Formats: sequence, structure tokens, C-alpha cells
Amino acid sequence: MPGVTLSRWTMSYFATALVSLIIAELLMTVGYGYPNAPIRSAESLVLVHLTALGWLSLLMCGALHQFVPVLVARPLHSDVLPLPALACLVAGLAALVLGFLQMGGLLSAEMIGFPVAAVLLAVGFALVLWNLARTLWAARPLPLPARFVAIGLCSIAATVTLGIIFALVLGGVAVNPHLVDITAEGVPLHAIGGLGGWLTFTAMGVSYRLLAMFMLAPELDGPRTHIGFYCGAAALAVAIVGGVTAICIGASLPVILGASGLLGLCALVLYGADILRLYRARKRRVIELNSRMAAFALASLAAAAVATAVFVSLGALARHIAPVVFLVVFGWLSGLGLAKLYKIVAFLTWLECYGPMLGKAPTPRVQDLVVEARAVRWFVLYFLATWAATVALFFQNPTAFQVCTGLMLIASLCIIGQLGRIRRLLDVNPTMRLPTGARLPQLLRCSVQQR
Amino acid sequence: MTRFVDVDVRPILRAGGEPFDKIMEAVNALQPGEGLRLFATFKPTPLLHVLGAKGFEHEARALDGGDWEVLFSPSTAQRPDAATDTLAGGDDTPWPEPRQHMDNRDLDPPEPMVRILVVTEKMAPGDVLSALLCREPIFLFPELAKRGHAWRGGFEPDGVTYKVLIRVGAGREPAK
Repeated sequence: MPGVTLSRWTMSYFATALVSLIIAELLMTVGYGYPNAPIRSAESLVLVHLTALGWLSLLMCGALHQFVPVLVARPLHSDVLPLPALACLVAGLAALVLGFLQMGGLLSAEMIGFPVAAVLLAVGFALVLWNLARTLWAARPLPLPARFVAIGLCSIAATVTLGIIFALVLGGVAVNPHLVDITAEGVPLHAIGGLGGWLTFTAMGVSYRLLAMFMLAPELDGPRTHIGFYCGAAALAVAIVGGVTAICIGASLPVILGASGLLGLCALVLYGADILRLYRARKRRVIELNSRMAAFALASLAAAAVATAVFVSLGALARHIAPVVFLVVFGWLSGLGLAKLYKIVAFLTWLECYGPMLGKAPTPRVQDLVVEARAVRWFVLYFLATWAATVALFFQNPTAFQVCTGLMLIASLCIIGQLGRIRRLLDVNPTMRLPTGARLPQLLRCSVQQR
Repeated sequence: MTRFVDVDVRPILRAGGEPFDKIMEAVNALQPGEGLRLFATFKPTPLLHVLGAKGFEHEARALDGGDWEVLFSPSTAQRPDAATDTLAGGDDTPWPEPRQHMDNRDLDPPEPMVRILVVTEKMAPGDVLSALLCREPIFLFPELAKRGHAWRGGFEPDGVTYKVLIRVGAGREPAK
């Protein structure tokens, strides 16, 4: 039981991620990419990867560097590796965007973007995975939330591997016929591995612990949670392993994806039941903004799952995939991410600044760092705009979509402004803001406590 | 082959007692190359970490009736470092009775940590504080280490309540 200290680079990941979110929302607002361009166009792919990699994956990596140690009650394997990993991931993302622009003929140059991106992203994710996997490995046997994370890490490994295959084939480096087939047909597997396995499954695992912690609810470890875990893990294995096999031997991919979808739906239903139980069994009646807003994100996930089931039964999923994915990415993952950032940034900042002062001088509470009444309006605007944008996509109305994403952009900028105020302690009562001996935290980096 | 010394703490646990001292006594009495076979009424996760820090590998197995058997065998890898001793409590000798008790189970995080640090700042060196929590206070431990306090902790037999004993000023030198 050595305890857990602050992760030095988590704030840097968060800041980089938020910059990517703003760029992505800005591009959507000015009409770049889908729905003004085809869904598989270079412009749309730039947008998708800015969001999935630049925003959500960096957010998740930053959060996991802090929360994997919390989940397993052991220190992070290395506090040094996250920085070179971040540098590789950001440079890799830039090279990937360059590759897409070259692929779309928007930049006339040698196709070097993809191979460079493949190398940089492989190294970046390998460093993240090595660090987190070593941390988890040292803590076996793993508690259930950490097992979700372990499956999430396997999924990102698979997703990145598929992405590298795509990049090497599209960059003209790889010519093996199986790899070409995977590039031609494997995009759904890449998306399921990334959005489903890496981002959603990991977020589910972490949410079990964070929601229980922040709402004073019991930790769930019953049969339902375990069955949900196995269903979800099986869904991912069927989709990724089964899907790649099906492509290579020429079997039917839709059958595999259907089987995976059913298992995934079971996992989501069981997860939904667990989360309802957490909210109902909480000891804390008045819950904080982050838990209230997480409920909006969870509702978005539920709506996306229902919509997927309905569209599949009508045979119309391919036609309506864009609004479903948009709702998963911006309603569920981004909504949950922004809501939890509001709590995590406040908590880490409080611990960094006031932890050493506790008991020695009057210190503010974590909640004294935030002004929820001011932040709530931007969160509500964010979710309303996201849901409206989803509807606009469904009805294929690009102008309405751009207006909605513009509102999402404003809401995101204002939420980021609140996060900045938290980090600089601007809303703390001046009499308690900086007791003697306390230092104002740096915006982008945590000073790590000495052991 | 590792020879295992049996320690059955189930009677102590069933009587509501704290078996930590007995386990550490048995561990300290082990000859080089000997291991420990522990029987408990629940999986003693915190103990796995403590003995891991002392250089033991473990293999846990659920028995019929909800009990657990854990085999601790001496690790071949070099593990222990200076910090782990403090983390495991600094020494294995019995501590004085707690001077103060707190029940922080119904408090929002990080309030349990705040209250513990407020109280330990007012206690005299050598005093012991006992606190009940609803989870392992992982962010508290580095702060205790920095302030030079030692602690022992673990889940109670109910598997839900975490009890931590903190001995003021009994750890290493505080970090500068």
C-alpha cells in the first residue's frame, strides 16, 4: 500500500486534448469535412482523427496515467515516460493529418505523412501501453474496474495496429494482399476497437470507480457487473479478432459484426442497470455538477445504443451511421470527458496546492475551487447543442449542423475557461487562496509530491 | 521446494480480532527459503501488497465456504527498498492503543484525508490514531510519508470498511 501521488504530465495531456477538441469543433463549424464532404473523404478523416486521437485518446491517456494507479492502489510504473509519449502522439497526429491531406490531393508532396505517422503513433502508444500495463501487471489480481482498463488497452493496441496497417498500405509501403484487404474492409473494426474498446469500455470501467467514489455509492462487484464485463470483452474479441479473420479468409463481415453487436448490447444493458443502481444507492443525495452532467453523457450512450438497435432492425444503419457515431463521440465520450475534467482538474489542483498544507493552515475545500452555478449553463448548452447537432445530421441539414457545432464550440471554450480558473485558483476566497508555504500550481504541469 | 509454515488466522478474524501482528510474527520467524501458508476468511489484498514489499510472491486460492488460502513464497527477484518498510508500518512490533478514533466512512472524498491530517497535526509523536474509511486512502499515504508518520491499514473482515492506524512521527525522516 505505497499510495499514489500526482501524475506529473496529466495536465499537459488534458491541455493538448482540449486544444484538439477546439480545433475539431472549429473545423465542423466552418463546414469542413462531413456533412459537407463525403464521410470517407480526407477532410472527414482529418476531423475524425483530430477528435478520436487528438481529443479523446489524449484525454484518456492523461486520465489513465492518474487513475490506473488509483484503481489498483499502486504507483505509476514510470513518471517520466508520459512526456516522450505525449510528444510522439502529438507529432504522430500531425503527420497523420498531413497524410490525409496528401491522400486527398490537398497537399502536393511525397506521401511521407502516413509512414511517419505510423512510426510516431506506434512509439507513442507503445510507451503509454508499456507504462500502464506494467502498472497493472504489478497489481495482479486486478479489481474489476482495472480489468475494463486492461481490455481497453488491448483494444487500443489492436486499433493502432490496424491504423498502422492502413497507413502503411495507403502510404505505399505495404503491398501484402491480406493487408490491402484489411485496409479496404477493416475500417469498421478500427472504429469499433477505438470508440468501443479503447474509449467506451475504458470509460465504463473508470466510471464504476469514479461515480461510486464521488457519490458515496457502494463499489459494484456482483455477478451482473462481471457478466457485463465478459459480454463486452467478448464483443470486442469477436469484432476485432473475428473481423480480421473474416476479412482474411473472405467470410461474411456483417455476420461477425452482428454477433459482436448483440454481445455489446448485452454489455451496455447490464452496464446501464449497474449505473442506475449506483445513482440510486448513493449516500450523497445532492450530487455535484460532474455527476449530474455525467448522467447526460450516459443518456447519450443509451440513446445511441437504442438508435443503433432500431436502425439495424430497419436495415438502415449504414445510412444513419454518422449521427449515431456523432452522438457516441460528442454526447457520450466528450460529454463524460468534459464533465469529469471539471472534477478531476479541481481535485488534482486542490491536492497539489493544498495537500501539503492540510491541518497546518486553513485551506479551502475542493468545491471552493469551482463555481458550479456558473459552469452549469455551459455544460447544459454543450449537451443541448450536441443533441441538436445529432438531429441535424440525421435530417442531413449541414447549415443547422454548423450552427449547433458553433454553439458546442462556444460552450467548450467557456468550460475550458472555467478549468483555467480552477487551475489558477481564481475563484477561491482570497483569504484562503494561498496560505503561507503554498504555491500557485503551474497551468500545464503538476509538481509531484516528494516521497 | 519451498517449505510452507501454516498460519490460520480464521479464528482471530471470526472473533473480530486483528491478525496483523500474528502474521508478521510468523513472517519474521521464517527461515531463509521458507514460505507462509495463510488461511483467512477473506482475500487479504492489502497484506498481499505488504508481503510483496517484503519480497514474497503470492498465490491466492478461494476455498469452499468463502475462505481463502494464500501461499507466500520468497521471491527470487530483489524487491525491498527503503521506502517499503515505512509504508508497511516501519516496524513489526506492536503499537500502543490508539489515542483517538475517527469514523470517516460517510464523508465525501477528500474530507476523510483532510480530517485525518488535521488530527495528526495536533497529536504528540508516538500517538496512534485509528480511522475507519470506506476505501483505501491512497492519496493520504504519500502525505503521511512526507510528514514522517507511519501507518498500517487493511480492510476489515466485512471487506468494505478500511481501517488505518497512523502513528505520528514514527516513520522515516520527513521529506524536505
